[in-house]
Amino acid sequence: MRVPEPSVGARAIRDRLASVGTSPVTMALVLSFLLCAVIILVTGVNPLSAYAEMWRGASSGSGPRTVIDRAVPIIGMALAISIPFRTGIVNLGAEGQMIVGGLAAALTAIHLPGPGAFVIGVSFLAASAAGAAWALLPAIGQTALQLPILISSLLLNAPARALTSYLVKYYFGDPTATSTTTVAVPEATRIPTLGWLSGASATAVPVLALVVAIALFNGRTAPGYQSLVSGINLRFSRYGGVAVARQTIVSMGVGGSIAGMVGAHLVLGQSGRFVDGDLAGSGFAWTGLLVCLIAANRAVPILVAGSFFAALQVGGLAMQRSAGVSWQLAQVLQAIVILTLAMRVVPGMRRRGSSEPTPNLEADVIGQIAPGAADVVKV
Amino acid sequence: MFDQLFDAALLDSVVRASVPILLAAIGGLICERAGVFQISLEGTMLVGAFTAVSVSYVSGNAYLGVLGAIAGGMATSSLLAVGHVSRKGDPIVIGIAINLLAVGLTGFLLPQFFDLRGVFRDPAIVGLEKYEIPLLADLPVVGNALFDMTLVGYLAFVLVPVVWIMLFRTAVGLRLRGVGENPAAAHTRGVPVTTYQYTAVATSGLLAGLAGAQLALGNVVQFAENMTAGRGWIAVVAVLLGRAHPFGVLAACLLFGFAEGLGFRLQGNGFAVQATDALPWVATLLALVIARRRFIRLVDLTGRMA
Repeated sequence: MRVPEPSVGARAIRDRLASVGTSPVTMALVLSFLLCAVIILVTGVNPLSAYAEMWRGASSGSGPRTVIDRAVPIIGMALAISIPFRTGIVNLGAEGQMIVGGLAAALTAIHLPGPGAFVIGVSFLAASAAGAAWALLPAIGQTALQLPILISSLLLNAPARALTSYLVKYYFGDPTATSTTTVAVPEATRIPTLGWLSGASATAVPVLALVVAIALFNGRTAPGYQSLVSGINLRFSRYGGVAVARQTIVSMGVGGSIAGMVGAHLVLGQSGRFVDGDLAGSGFAWTGLLVCLIAANRAVPILVAGSFFAALQVGGLAMQRSAGVSWQLAQVLQAIVILTLAMRVVPGMRRRGSSEPTPNLEADVIGQIAPGAADVVKV
Repeated sequence: MFDQLFDAALLDSVVRASVPILLAAIGGLICERAGVFQISLEGTMLVGAFTAVSVSYVSGNAYLGVLGAIAGGMATSSLLAVGHVSRKGDPIVIGIAINLLAVGLTGFLLPQFFDLRGVFRDPAIVGLEKYEIPLLADLPVVGNALFDMTLVGYLAFVLVPVVWIMLFRTAVGLRLRGVGENPAAAHTRGVPVTTYQYTAVATSGLLAGLAGAQLALGNVVQFAENMTAGRGWIAVVAVLLGRAHPFGVLAACLLFGFAEGLGFRLQGNGFAVQATDALPWVATLLALVIARRRFIRLVDLTGRMA
């Protein structure tokens, strides 16, 4: 692997751009598109025309707006997941954290009087608190009871679905609706759309700010560095004086809080009500997880990969309409990208355990959660 | 009320719910003993269910369907074998990606092959026959539950002692455990570590495929999108909870089967469907808490070195 010169400013950006073409991620993408072309061919459709429809669907008509509206929750979930992942904590419970956040926001928006902007703010706070609380359950389970978060966070997804469904059905439901849903939130508490952003939801702006904030936190602060070190080598991190238990609690809490706010966005910015099963069915949590993996937990690459995966999904739906190729191909494509990265199929990726120098600690964990994460769960 | 809840029919549904989880969990425990963290059971089972139904539909033979499920399961698990054992990729990432790939691929192929979405139900799909064991099946209470099953169901329960003997009473089992506990030492003693790990992962693919076949051709006769619905993850937890010991894993699987069976029954008695949906998951969490075992061994997060 080439060891890059330490570079600053414009040169750094130029170097980064130059390396995009040969980066393992680019090659994994090319390989995945080729593999999926074979799959499309097997089903009797011309892959080139299918991909052309995919591109057309994502880039023309309502495509750009839909892509941004899909990218916002995907990037949000990826950021939420990246914070614990970076410290080596495998949080598979983001879906549940998002769902409880969504319900908390819906109930606040429906019942809290006041001006729209104020109610939106409080709703996001409520969602953030609910998501964080749901994430703290497995965090405390790990620090106090030694239950691996990998397992307990995942096990809490179904109870989150069941609990919110129960609450909506028996306590907060819309009696006039045939499905299990809350009433619509007041019009004033809906998140506005932005004309200059192709009419996409205004949440895109705070999400961009969050990307920058997390990038700065990770790259420029001591706790950000400590979380990276913990993700790479937990023992070393503790040896260096990091309070690992506190780090676990805080990173899970922050991640859960962001996931909860994504739920709030989906309710106040998209559907306008909490519909049972909608948030879980959206698959944003799992897409976000894949985005986080491909971006190796880094905020700016999450922005890029999240937008790309959103475009893939929107294009996939268009492809289904016009080329007769089922949209799930987009899911297949996403999973294959991660598999090729994790399996180090593409050249230029370091195998774990080799003795080559590692110029960039963060980039080195593409396709891994954190090198130490797998060792945490042992029977 | 309790006589209504606890009867032979409950035991029947407990056993039915346990069999797919048990098959997958036995595969998971063999991997665990070989030092491979196997969390792709969910996706492997789903592929098995899909191939089982597809092959049974096309061929009109349930056992060809089972063979298809085995092939599908082993093909899926080969991704973990190549990616983790040979290429040293992160088993958690590969496992998660396999699970999502399985959901996407089966959801993609269902409309592509059979021109429908959601649920694939057709009289041409031949289900697995049940075989009654004479005399034993007439036993009160347990007879119907344990001695009137599909061949795959019997196999699941027979495998528990067989795997125990294999692990703890044979040279192969000793080497397998050695590979898991200290691969370097096993290698030094001349044990082909990679071969053992490959075989373990392939076996888990075979068994998770069988679990899918039992689910889609035994418990019901249909394929539904994402029909495994977390059973593969429960199997992963069963391995953890049962300490990768065949009888411990059996007990854990029966516990989950009991929670699921009881859930169905409670639902019939007017309980909210949400409460019964959450029951197996909550029971699993509670079991993990009550077991009060330190599942995290390598790193003791309270501050002391492990």
